[in-house]
Amino acid sequence: MTTLTHLQRLEAESIQIMREVVAETDNPVMLYSVGKDSAVMLHLARKAFAPGPPPFPLLHVDTRWKFRAMYAFRDQVARETGMELLVHINPEGIEKDINPFTHGSAIHTDVMKTEGLKQALDQYGFDAAFGGARRDEEKSRAKERIFSFRTAQHRWDPKNQRPELWKLYNTRRHKGESIRVFPLSNWTELDIWQYIYLQDIPIVPLYYAAERPVVERDGTLIMVDDERMPLEPGEVPMMRKVRFRTLGCYPLTGAIESEADTLPAIIQEMLLTRTSERQGRVIDHDSAASMEKKKAEGYF
Amino acid sequence: MTTKHLSPEIISERRLQAVRLRLDGMTVAETARRTGLSPPTVSAAWKAFREGGWEAVPVRPRGRPTGQGATLGDTQRRHLERWLAEWPSDDQPGWSARTLAQALGGNTGASSAASPRAVEHWLAQQDLKPAPLDLAGLERRRSPAGRWYRQQVLPAVDNRDSHLWQAGARVCAATPGHPRRYQLFAHGKRDTLYTRCFTAPPRADDYLQLFTRLKAEGCRAMLFRGADLTASPEIQTWLREHPDLLLIIAPPDVLTATSAAKRRGASSHSRPMERQ
Repeated sequence: MTTLTHLQRLEAESIQIMREVVAETDNPVMLYSVGKDSAVMLHLARKAFAPGPPPFPLLHVDTRWKFRAMYAFRDQVARETGMELLVHINPEGIEKDINPFTHGSAIHTDVMKTEGLKQALDQYGFDAAFGGARRDEEKSRAKERIFSFRTAQHRWDPKNQRPELWKLYNTRRHKGESIRVFPLSNWTELDIWQYIYLQDIPIVPLYYAAERPVVERDGTLIMVDDERMPLEPGEVPMMRKVRFRTLGCYPLTGAIESEADTLPAIIQEMLLTRTSERQGRVIDHDSAASMEKKKAEGYF
Repeated sequence: MTTKHLSPEIISERRLQAVRLRLDGMTVAETARRTGLSPPTVSAAWKAFREGGWEAVPVRPRGRPTGQGATLGDTQRRHLERWLAEWPSDDQPGWSARTLAQALGGNTGASSAASPRAVEHWLAQQDLKPAPLDLAGLERRRSPAGRWYRQQVLPAVDNRDSHLWQAGARVCAATPGHPRRYQLFAHGKRDTLYTRCFTAPPRADDYLQLFTRLKAEGCRAMLFRGADLTASPEIQTWLREHPDLLLIIAPPDVLTATSAAKRRGASSHSRPMERQ
């Protein structure tokens, strides 16, 4: 009998979860944020349902403030996989021109991400949504179940979660309920990178270190990705060799200085790091908008 | 017979002996045989004697003179750090090792004087001595970066009939006892380094101060790296008002031909920026 490696066990678990969801729900969707976790999740989904394409569409809840490289990569992936890509932008956010600079990260995240996601799920009637969240990312994600049930108003109650003993998942939904499913819950950031390396999964080039124009804001390196980024008077972006451990809206995503421009170098860097990848997310440092509170309100 | 293993004192003694034998009328070959020196060395010692007398015959001691490689003292280092945080009082585009050494000698007394080489060593230890780009090598490179240099930089510089200065901004590595510093620098003729340090990222005024000083130094064409100057309206306005200074931004792939740059297509980064 062959023994599975820990990555093969994680892969098998994720594939089982995906097949379980497709078997038990009517209208699933895969949330696609264009990051490395989404790339792995999509790869697993294609494996789970090969040789056919996965029987659900991809949904990108766009905020209009992602990195340009992310948009290019998203469209390329949609073309190459042949999967349906749904892009939803909160029309109220467009109308009010919500942005991270004038409205702040909390309002921007609430309107463009949380509300946008809820709108999209309601609009298309999805009853299950795959997400690429992992337990090691953040405290509230650590205690969230793989099958995370949401009320009709998309609210999450952390004190009312179902047990998942022996990897048995109770998928019964009450009326109006939907499920957020996290097939990568038990993966770590290092697992993700090792799997990307072993499976040669394409990812956004922003994960690799390169010379990029950045400004320092409160100790965080923010990349000046386009002309919409307002510079302070006299401020000049410096070219520094940076990469991103996590990708989100570019004004709210901090880069790290790094020389890791290959996957083995990134993995080596990962082995030495002692901080969470989400330390670079500005929205996570806003105490008034803790992740648990955001999740309770419907955030992914 | 090789004499490389001998000490300078022994070699000097044999050279003096060789000159004495030559004065006694011996041939070069016979002198070489008796002293154990090679015939060219005997000839060289004889020539040195005829041109400079007995004092010119011994060889020079090996290595650096005593004290030349000495590290700078605490007071000297404090002076250097304080000066590097300000622009020089003259119009120079920054502090060079020579001007810093001169300042040490002038301001702190002869007892604190240091050689420019000692200052250069200190700059290197502090990660304040960036190397200039190898432009001759870049010109030969069969790559997008090499083509960019040959096709866009060289013709533009030739039109100016000017030396191509190199300048840039960078973040210096933190050294023991020193937090991270930011640096503006310029490499002039014969790759002389001019530098200025900051505790925060340089502002547009700092860049303009550097450019103004470079102009005063005779700079007409400059290859710049380390900052996205196109994003600064103040710098763009200044460049438009000073069309006599050609500023060319070095694309990132010129600096480091990283695998990431190769992966993403090095040519896509080329964006020469002449003043508009």
